[in-house]
Amino acid sequence: MPDDITISIDGVDIQTQPGKMVLEAAIEAGIYIPYLCYHPGMKPFAACRMCVVGVEGGRGYPAACALPVAPDMKIRSEDSDVQQLRHSVMEMLIAEHPDGCLTCHRIEICGPSDVCLRHVSVRDRCVTCPKNERCELKDTVRYLGMNLESPLQYKYRQIPLEVSDPFYDRDYNLCIVCGRCVRACEELRGDDAICFTDRGGSALVGTSFGTSLLESGCEFCGACIDVCPVGALVEREHKWEKAASVERTICPHCPVGCQMNLEINSLGGFVRAIPELNSPANRGQACFKGKFGLEFINSRERLKHPMVRRDGLLEEVTWVEALDYIAERLPNYAGDSFALLTSPNSTNEEHYLAQKFARLVMSTNNVDQTSNTQPELTGALERSLGYAAATNPIWDLEQAECILVFNSNVTEEHNVVGVPIKRAARKDTKLVVIDPREVELTRYADVWLRPAPGTELLLLGGVLRSLIDQGLQHDDWLEENCESPATLYYALHNLDMDEVSRLTHVSLKAMEEAARLFGEGGAGSIVYALDNVPSSLRVDCVRALIGLSLLTGNVGKPGAGLYPMRQGANEQGAWDVGCLPDRLPGYRSVQDADARAEVEEAWAGSVPETPGIRVTEALEAVADGRVKAMMVIGDGATLTNGKISDDVQAFSNLEFLVVHDTFAGALSDIADVVLPRVTFAEKDGTFTNLERRIQRFRPAIQVTNTDARPDSWVICELASRMGGRGFNFLTAAQVMEEIANLCPSYGGVSYHRLDEGGKLVLRTNLDSPQPTQVLHAGKEYPGLQWPCSAEDAEDTRILYAAEGFPPGIAVLEAPSFRVEDVADDADFPSWLVPGRVLFQQGKEIEVVRGRRNHIQREEQVELNPVTAAALAVQNGDRVQVRTRSHRDNAALIAIVRLADGVPEGVISTTTLFGQLAEAMQTSSEPDAAAGVAGLDICRAAIVKIE
Amino acid sequence: MEGLAQRISQAMLGQEQATITILSTLLAVQDELGYLAKEAIELVAGFTDSTINDVWAVASFYPNFRFEPPCLHQVEVCWGASCHLVGAMPLMEAVMEACELESEGDREDGRLSLRFNTCLGACAHAPVIAIDHHLMGRQTPETARERIGGLLR
Repeated sequence: MPDDITISIDGVDIQTQPGKMVLEAAIEAGIYIPYLCYHPGMKPFAACRMCVVGVEGGRGYPAACALPVAPDMKIRSEDSDVQQLRHSVMEMLIAEHPDGCLTCHRIEICGPSDVCLRHVSVRDRCVTCPKNERCELKDTVRYLGMNLESPLQYKYRQIPLEVSDPFYDRDYNLCIVCGRCVRACEELRGDDAICFTDRGGSALVGTSFGTSLLESGCEFCGACIDVCPVGALVEREHKWEKAASVERTICPHCPVGCQMNLEINSLGGFVRAIPELNSPANRGQACFKGKFGLEFINSRERLKHPMVRRDGLLEEVTWVEALDYIAERLPNYAGDSFALLTSPNSTNEEHYLAQKFARLVMSTNNVDQTSNTQPELTGALERSLGYAAATNPIWDLEQAECILVFNSNVTEEHNVVGVPIKRAARKDTKLVVIDPREVELTRYADVWLRPAPGTELLLLGGVLRSLIDQGLQHDDWLEENCESPATLYYALHNLDMDEVSRLTHVSLKAMEEAARLFGEGGAGSIVYALDNVPSSLRVDCVRALIGLSLLTGNVGKPGAGLYPMRQGANEQGAWDVGCLPDRLPGYRSVQDADARAEVEEAWAGSVPETPGIRVTEALEAVADGRVKAMMVIGDGATLTNGKISDDVQAFSNLEFLVVHDTFAGALSDIADVVLPRVTFAEKDGTFTNLERRIQRFRPAIQVTNTDARPDSWVICELASRMGGRGFNFLTAAQVMEEIANLCPSYGGVSYHRLDEGGKLVLRTNLDSPQPTQVLHAGKEYPGLQWPCSAEDAEDTRILYAAEGFPPGIAVLEAPSFRVEDVADDADFPSWLVPGRVLFQQGKEIEVVRGRRNHIQREEQVELNPVTAAALAVQNGDRVQVRTRSHRDNAALIAIVRLADGVPEGVISTTTLFGQLAEAMQTSSEPDAAAGVAGLDICRAAIVKIE
Repeated sequence: MEGLAQRISQAMLGQEQATITILSTLLAVQDELGYLAKEAIELVAGFTDSTINDVWAVASFYPNFRFEPPCLHQVEVCWGASCHLVGAMPLMEAVMEACELESEGDREDGRLSLRFNTCLGACAHAPVIAIDHHLMGRQTPETARERIGGLLR
């Protein structure tokens, strides 16, 4: 940190650091200088000229946002000449913005339900502006105390409203062209969905050829809306509503753990979500799911009362009746004929209580979490390195010199993780994408390796081999930190590289290039998921990726992370607190007698020894009668979000099914008891995100109109009715205390520490006008990144950095490089590989940097010319594509386009990102975000239509 | 359509100057096609390693670029200072009338487009008009009317 220097603003001395701009220094010191185009995190732009100041000894009036501080600088901000200049600037802005709301003499006396006395034309009236009374421009005008007798006449621009996109309404008649939205899209997000158009007086914000955002590469993250100072960009939903209060919470849609501020209206209903600026996981960013997918909190369809099935019909009962009924029936199924599934958005405390209940009260290890469908994701990570979690923080990705994204559709599934990746890729970081699908990141990639489905593992082998052939492995580091790589080398040397290239359809040159980019950089990160990897190859894929990290010495340092992309919001936490069929709290194995004894002592009860069934086996276990009773805590329309099967009919075999959910769904339709569950916004607890960050959230919204209760309450009530001891918790904090005692990584975690929080980064005077996001920004609650072993111990940002590997040295597990032998499917001989952006015509496949985001309305599928020849299909032919899952009617009709880059046997199709967003909006599912269709590769058949 | 993409690619690749920018590439494409097609914006984005919106921001900034196919003939009238002093205003009105246009723009039948130019660089011959980039000096409303009439005949 450079030494402090002193500058003075209107005679007040403030301390700041060189390199800062005067405006930043002023904001940090709590001094308000009016501004409209500056926003925290963006580069100085100096477009609005609102922050002009006088500098003693300097010429003119520079803009404070672009004026670097210098020692002993004397700034004049409140003097009349400066204010006069600001007035003139504002007069010009107002000349292009309706100002009826600013000049109205009833401004102080008009209530929300008063009718306008028609001083102004209809389109200029304050009630026709969605930002009425929450407008930064209006606040700034009032701060300036202008009399608004401007010589300039307001001219209505007559631009039609842009309403063709989902989620957003854009009214450029209200735009003041501050450029925040354009810069948010480009600088903060690394996207380029909007740009400045035209110039001079007609300059505005728009898209290429004025197309809709759907066609311009928009992700609908809402960042532009969040920064807009006027009513030009607003959320369509609840457009006219104003917040009565603002509460912080954590988004439940994915494990990034974005802190969000919920605006709540005077009736206690959710209005809109605005991401928190002072949040270490999301840094003021959100995605379409968090920004627009929380509406389900308000849904009228929510389950309201406990219900018990009597004579085949669900009848409303009281909680006491329902709980008594369950407590009476459940003991009949004690032991392994009972299973308990928790939800990905259950809190750490709830996961802990659930597994304790299953083990202690129901005497079974049949407890798992519904999104935990890919335990392979982190299994190898734990065996090799020590911990089953991502090694580095999310935003550490910006420091990587090369990022490898393997089989992960980050920009959709974990959108905010995609932000540092894109930002880095737009700078100097190299991006390698390995994916058969054309996911959005391929547009940013330096190298896109596109293996044929099922050959991903072999391709990783090819890349590893190429790495060694180029001598890019770090031998010294390996010798010191890792067991001998001899087995891995042996396996790699046995690879026939020509065969690898032939099977994967990836050229040797491309593999070499990928290996070189990853191996040459100083720090390389790997982001991976296993969505479309055949299950038999998953463990080995992870081993190969860990091998890649270890061979290049990319463990335990900044910018060199391994990021398994888990699915559920609190899947990491569920693992940590032992909500797994084979693990007890603190990753103890249930089969380890000593470990079991430790837990048994803490719980004063016995823990069963046999590992339970996983969620992946649940359907089978129910079907064959091993499991007779089940309790499912869920918060989605489907059981596992389609990851296993949505066919829950097998569950009707159950003798007793309890469903604790927010919405009615396929499961509650066949349940014996249905209990209403609160949403994330109404509970107290902690989530652990994918970077191991334990974050506290409090009830943001009061439960109204429903009798919903949290899982923790239900489980404790049931346990006490069934004679379970150790469930007398009054608060979530007490549960965390018990977790801290049992889980070594959580040893130093307590609510006290989590609440202590950090600094308030933006110490602005809340009475001054400022961006909504800044206004809502509060204290930083960084949470704790486990391991944090003791009350006085620091948390751990980067694993294995200081303390090394828990097993001593890293274990290098050699995968056996192979392809998945898929039995030929005569009915569906091809693979349908969906993607999210459209192809680049006439370009080499490996170099995709700078791809255009060309949009075509007509559905197209890409085929390799060889495949096409075999099918007797030609360029431009109309075809029908059928898949196994949509056998009946949902066939895709499309035009064929031949492309050499598509592997043989693959039918490649792409849809717009926005189509996904649109599907979310028009979906009838109560929690559409959870049920959003992913990009799953499936078997398909293609037929030419004459 | 393939032909269009090919012409655009050739124009982009044919640039000989040392520094190749979005602007230079757009100019090269417009020189070839006479306008910037939607495909051109997309191809230029790919070629210059940027995005369509970046390219659009540049293209829409400069009034020199047009986004519809050019008309058969281009008529330009200079209204720079020199021309203005020797009667550009009546000349412009005469030209508009002859073109059957009310301001700058294209005729609907695509036979002619009219633009006002801030200086055609031939002040000694003021007032100047240019038809298909051929400068014509010392124009009067009558001579201009006649020339444009010739184009439309």
